[in-house]
Amino acid sequence: MTRFRAVPAAGYATAICVLWILTFIVGSYIYTKYRIYIRIPIEQAGYWKTQGFFDFKEHVASIALTLLPAYWFFWKNAHNPQYDTARKMVTVYLAIACWFLFIVGHVLNNVRGFGS
Amino acid sequence: MSTTTSTTRATPTPSSLASSTKFKTFAITFAIVGPVIYMVGLFFNWPLFTFHPATNRIALGWEAARSGEGPNMTWYGWTATTLLAGSVVSFLATLLPETMTRKIPLILVWLIPFLAIPYLAWDLRQWWFHP
Repeated sequence: MTRFRAVPAAGYATAICVLWILTFIVGSYIYTKYRIYIRIPIEQAGYWKTQGFFDFKEHVASIALTLLPAYWFFWKNAHNPQYDTARKMVTVYLAIACWFLFIVGHVLNNVRGFGS
Repeated sequence: MSTTTSTTRATPTPSSLASSTKFKTFAITFAIVGPVIYMVGLFFNWPLFTFHPATNRIALGWEAARSGEGPNMTWYGWTATTLLAGSVVSFLATLLPETMTRKIPLILVWLIPFLAIPYLAWDLRQWWFHP
Protein backbone atom coordinates (compact mmCIF):
# COMPACT_ATOMS: atom_id res chain seq x y z
CA MET A 1 0.00 0.00 0.00
CA THR A 2 2.79 2.40 0.96
CA ARG A 3 4.61 1.72 -2.28
CA PHE A 4 1.55 2.70 -4.34
CA ARG A 5 0.86 5.79 -2.24
CA ALA A 6 4.41 6.98 -2.73
CA VAL A 7 4.16 6.95 -6.52
CA PRO A 8 3.91 10.51 -7.86
CA ALA A 9 0.40 10.61 -9.33
CA ALA A 10 1.43 13.17 -11.93
CA GLY A 11 3.51 10.50 -13.60
CA TYR A 12 0.33 8.73 -14.69
CA ALA A 13 -1.30 11.76 -16.34
CA THR A 14 0.21 11.29 -19.80
CA ALA A 15 -0.41 7.53 -19.77
CA ILE A 16 -4.04 8.01 -18.74
CA CYS A 17 -4.61 10.55 -21.53
CA VAL A 18 -2.97 8.33 -24.15
CA LEU A 19 -4.89 5.25 -23.00
CA TRP A 20 -8.18 7.16 -22.93
CA ILE A 21 -7.64 8.33 -26.53
CA LEU A 22 -6.60 4.87 -27.71
CA THR A 23 -9.65 3.30 -26.06
CA PHE A 24 -11.83 6.02 -27.57
CA ILE A 25 -10.48 5.28 -31.06
CA VAL A 26 -10.94 1.52 -30.70
CA GLY A 27 -14.43 2.02 -29.25
CA SER A 28 -15.28 4.33 -32.15
CA TYR A 29 -14.09 1.66 -34.57
CA ILE A 30 -16.26 -1.13 -33.16
CA TYR A 31 -19.22 1.23 -32.70
CA THR A 32 -20.29 0.69 -36.33
CA LYS A 33 -20.59 -3.06 -35.69
CA TYR A 34 -22.56 -2.34 -32.52
CA ARG A 35 -24.94 -0.06 -34.43
CA ILE A 36 -25.80 -2.73 -36.96
CA TYR A 37 -25.47 -6.06 -35.19
CA ILE A 38 -26.27 -5.26 -31.56
CA ARG A 39 -28.38 -2.12 -31.31
CA ILE A 40 -30.98 -3.22 -33.84
CA PRO A 41 -31.74 -6.51 -32.01
CA ILE A 42 -31.75 -4.62 -28.68
CA GLU A 43 -34.37 -2.25 -30.07
CA GLN A 44 -36.37 -5.10 -31.57
CA ALA A 45 -36.40 -6.77 -28.16
CA GLY A 46 -37.62 -3.54 -26.58
CA TYR A 47 -34.66 -2.96 -24.24
CA TRP A 48 -35.15 0.80 -24.37
CA LYS A 49 -33.40 1.68 -21.12
CA THR A 50 -30.43 -0.46 -22.08
CA GLN A 51 -30.25 1.48 -25.34
CA GLY A 52 -30.57 4.74 -23.42
CA PHE A 53 -27.62 3.83 -21.24
CA PHE A 54 -25.49 3.18 -24.30
CA ASP A 55 -26.35 6.59 -25.75
CA PHE A 56 -25.56 8.09 -22.34
CA LYS A 57 -22.20 6.30 -22.45
CA GLU A 58 -21.27 7.69 -25.85
CA HIS A 59 -22.07 11.25 -24.72
CA VAL A 60 -20.04 10.89 -21.53
CA ALA A 61 -17.07 9.49 -23.47
CA SER A 62 -17.03 12.50 -25.80
CA ILE A 63 -17.39 15.06 -23.03
CA ALA A 64 -14.66 13.38 -21.00
CA LEU A 65 -12.42 13.53 -24.06
CA THR A 66 -12.59 17.33 -24.00
CA LEU A 67 -11.32 17.35 -20.39
CA LEU A 68 -8.09 15.49 -21.12
CA PRO A 69 -5.87 18.50 -21.99
CA ALA A 70 -6.95 20.26 -18.77
CA TYR A 71 -6.52 17.05 -16.77
CA TRP A 72 -2.99 16.65 -18.11
CA PHE A 73 -2.15 20.29 -17.46
CA PHE A 74 -3.49 20.26 -13.89
CA TRP A 75 -1.56 17.14 -12.98
CA LYS A 76 1.66 18.39 -14.57
CA ASN A 77 1.26 21.47 -12.39
CA ALA A 78 0.31 19.60 -9.23
CA HIS A 79 2.76 21.75 -7.28
CA ASN A 80 0.51 24.76 -7.89
CA PRO A 81 -2.24 24.93 -5.20
CA GLN A 82 -4.28 27.19 -7.49
CA TYR A 83 -5.29 24.11 -9.50
CA ASP A 84 -6.00 21.77 -6.56
CA THR A 85 -9.80 21.87 -6.64
CA ALA A 86 -10.07 21.77 -10.43
CA ARG A 87 -7.55 18.92 -10.61
CA LYS A 88 -9.41 16.87 -8.01
CA MET A 89 -12.83 17.44 -9.57
CA VAL A 90 -11.68 16.70 -13.13
CA THR A 91 -9.97 13.55 -11.85
CA VAL A 92 -13.13 12.45 -10.02
CA TYR A 93 -15.19 13.13 -13.15
CA LEU A 94 -12.88 11.07 -15.35
CA ALA A 95 -12.75 8.25 -12.79
CA ILE A 96 -16.56 8.08 -12.56
CA ALA A 97 -16.84 8.35 -16.36
CA CYS A 98 -14.29 5.60 -16.89
CA TRP A 99 -16.11 3.16 -14.60
CA PHE A 100 -19.50 4.12 -16.04
CA LEU A 101 -18.25 3.51 -19.60
CA PHE A 102 -16.74 0.19 -18.61
CA ILE A 103 -19.79 -1.10 -16.73
CA VAL A 104 -22.32 0.00 -19.37
CA GLY A 105 -20.18 -1.49 -22.13
CA HIS A 106 -19.81 -4.71 -20.18
CA VAL A 107 -23.53 -5.03 -19.44
CA LEU A 108 -24.39 -4.30 -23.08
CA ASN A 109 -21.95 -6.96 -24.15
CA ASN A 110 -23.77 -9.37 -21.85
CA VAL A 111 -27.14 -8.37 -23.29
CA ARG A 112 -26.02 -9.17 -26.80
CA GLY A 113 -22.30 -9.14 -27.36
CA PHE A 114 -20.16 -9.75 -30.37
CA GLY A 115 -20.43 -13.31 -31.55
CA SER A 116 -24.00 -13.70 -30.25
CA MET B 1 1.24 0.30 7.09
CA SER B 2 2.76 3.73 6.82
CA THR B 3 0.84 6.95 6.23
CA THR B 4 3.31 8.23 3.66
CA THR B 5 1.56 10.23 0.98
CA SER B 6 2.48 11.24 -2.52
CA THR B 7 4.94 14.09 -2.87
CA THR B 8 3.52 15.47 -6.07
CA ARG B 9 3.52 19.07 -4.85
CA ALA B 10 7.30 19.03 -4.63
CA THR B 11 7.61 17.70 -8.16
CA PRO B 12 8.97 20.34 -10.54
CA THR B 13 7.15 21.13 -13.75
CA PRO B 14 8.58 18.58 -16.17
CA SER B 15 7.91 20.03 -19.60
CA SER B 16 7.67 23.32 -21.40
CA LEU B 17 4.14 22.49 -22.55
CA ALA B 18 3.00 22.14 -18.95
CA SER B 19 4.45 25.53 -18.09
CA SER B 20 3.11 27.25 -21.21
CA THR B 21 0.45 29.86 -20.47
CA LYS B 22 -0.90 29.47 -24.00
CA PHE B 23 -1.40 25.74 -23.52
CA LYS B 24 -3.02 26.43 -20.16
CA THR B 25 -5.49 28.78 -21.84
CA PHE B 26 -6.13 26.26 -24.62
CA ALA B 27 -6.69 23.36 -22.20
CA ILE B 28 -8.96 25.28 -19.85
CA THR B 29 -10.99 26.84 -22.67
CA PHE B 30 -11.29 23.48 -24.43
CA ALA B 31 -12.59 21.84 -21.25
CA ILE B 32 -15.18 24.59 -20.84
CA VAL B 33 -16.41 25.10 -24.41
CA GLY B 34 -16.11 21.43 -25.46
CA PRO B 35 -19.03 20.14 -23.37
CA VAL B 36 -21.06 23.27 -24.20
CA ILE B 37 -20.53 22.78 -27.95
CA TYR B 38 -21.37 19.10 -27.61
CA MET B 39 -24.64 19.83 -25.81
CA VAL B 40 -25.59 22.61 -28.24
CA GLY B 41 -24.77 20.30 -31.16
CA LEU B 42 -26.90 17.61 -29.58
CA PHE B 43 -29.81 19.97 -28.90
CA PHE B 44 -29.90 21.39 -32.44
CA ASN B 45 -28.68 18.14 -34.03
CA TRP B 46 -25.63 19.67 -35.70
CA PRO B 47 -23.26 16.79 -36.49
CA LEU B 48 -20.38 17.74 -38.75
CA PHE B 49 -21.23 14.67 -40.78
CA THR B 50 -23.50 11.63 -40.75
CA PHE B 51 -22.10 8.15 -41.22
CA HIS B 52 -24.12 5.35 -42.78
CA PRO B 53 -22.35 2.18 -41.55
CA ALA B 54 -24.15 -0.32 -43.76
CA THR B 55 -22.99 1.44 -46.93
CA ASN B 56 -19.89 3.21 -45.48
CA ARG B 57 -21.26 6.47 -46.81
CA ILE B 58 -20.48 9.83 -45.20
CA ALA B 59 -22.75 12.83 -45.73
CA LEU B 60 -21.93 16.35 -44.63
CA GLY B 61 -24.15 17.60 -41.81
CA TRP B 62 -27.21 15.65 -40.71
CA GLU B 63 -28.82 13.16 -43.01
CA ALA B 64 -31.68 10.79 -42.25
CA ALA B 65 -31.31 7.05 -42.68
CA ARG B 66 -32.25 6.03 -46.20
CA SER B 67 -34.65 3.24 -46.89
CA GLY B 68 -32.81 -0.01 -47.52
CA GLU B 69 -29.41 1.44 -46.52
CA GLY B 70 -29.46 0.66 -42.80
CA PRO B 71 -29.21 3.09 -39.89
CA ASN B 72 -27.43 6.43 -39.75
CA MET B 73 -24.87 7.42 -37.09
CA THR B 74 -24.47 10.98 -35.86
CA TRP B 75 -22.27 10.51 -32.80
CA TYR B 76 -19.09 10.69 -34.87
CA GLY B 77 -20.36 13.95 -36.33
CA TRP B 78 -21.26 15.44 -32.93
CA THR B 79 -17.83 14.52 -31.60
CA ALA B 80 -16.11 15.95 -34.69
CA THR B 81 -18.12 19.17 -34.34
CA THR B 82 -17.04 19.40 -30.71
CA LEU B 83 -13.35 18.73 -31.35
CA LEU B 84 -13.16 21.06 -34.35
CA ALA B 85 -15.17 23.98 -32.98
CA GLY B 86 -13.67 23.54 -29.52
CA SER B 87 -10.15 23.63 -30.95
CA VAL B 88 -10.88 26.76 -32.97
CA VAL B 89 -12.41 28.60 -30.01
CA SER B 90 -9.62 27.47 -27.69
CA PHE B 91 -6.96 28.52 -30.20
CA LEU B 92 -8.59 31.94 -30.51
CA ALA B 93 -8.57 32.19 -26.71
CA THR B 94 -4.79 31.72 -26.71
CA LEU B 95 -4.51 34.88 -28.80
CA LEU B 96 -6.12 36.95 -26.05
CA PRO B 97 -3.89 38.80 -23.59
CA GLU B 98 -2.98 36.87 -20.47
CA THR B 99 -4.64 39.48 -18.27
CA MET B 100 -7.94 38.36 -19.81
CA THR B 101 -7.39 34.62 -19.95
CA ARG B 102 -6.26 34.59 -16.32
CA LYS B 103 -9.82 35.61 -15.39
CA ILE B 104 -11.41 32.47 -16.86
CA PRO B 105 -13.01 30.80 -13.79
CA LEU B 106 -11.43 27.40 -13.18
CA ILE B 107 -14.64 26.18 -11.56
CA LEU B 108 -16.23 26.01 -15.02
CA VAL B 109 -13.72 23.34 -16.08
CA TRP B 110 -15.45 20.76 -13.88
CA LEU B 111 -18.83 22.35 -13.17
CA ILE B 112 -20.02 22.30 -16.81
CA PRO B 113 -19.21 18.60 -17.37
CA PHE B 114 -21.05 17.75 -14.15
CA LEU B 115 -24.03 19.91 -15.19
CA ALA B 116 -23.99 18.15 -18.56
CA ILE B 117 -25.03 14.89 -16.85
CA PRO B 118 -28.63 15.92 -16.00
CA TYR B 119 -28.95 17.57 -19.41
CA LEU B 120 -27.86 14.38 -21.18
CA ALA B 121 -30.27 12.34 -19.05
CA TRP B 122 -33.07 14.71 -20.09
CA ASP B 123 -32.00 14.58 -23.74
CA LEU B 124 -32.28 10.79 -23.66
CA ARG B 125 -35.76 10.81 -22.08
CA GLN B 126 -37.20 9.05 -25.13
CA TRP B 127 -35.42 5.88 -23.96
CA TRP B 128 -36.26 6.16 -20.25
CA PHE B 129 -39.98 6.76 -20.87
CA HIS B 130 -40.43 4.61 -23.96
CA PRO B 131 -43.73 2.71 -23.63
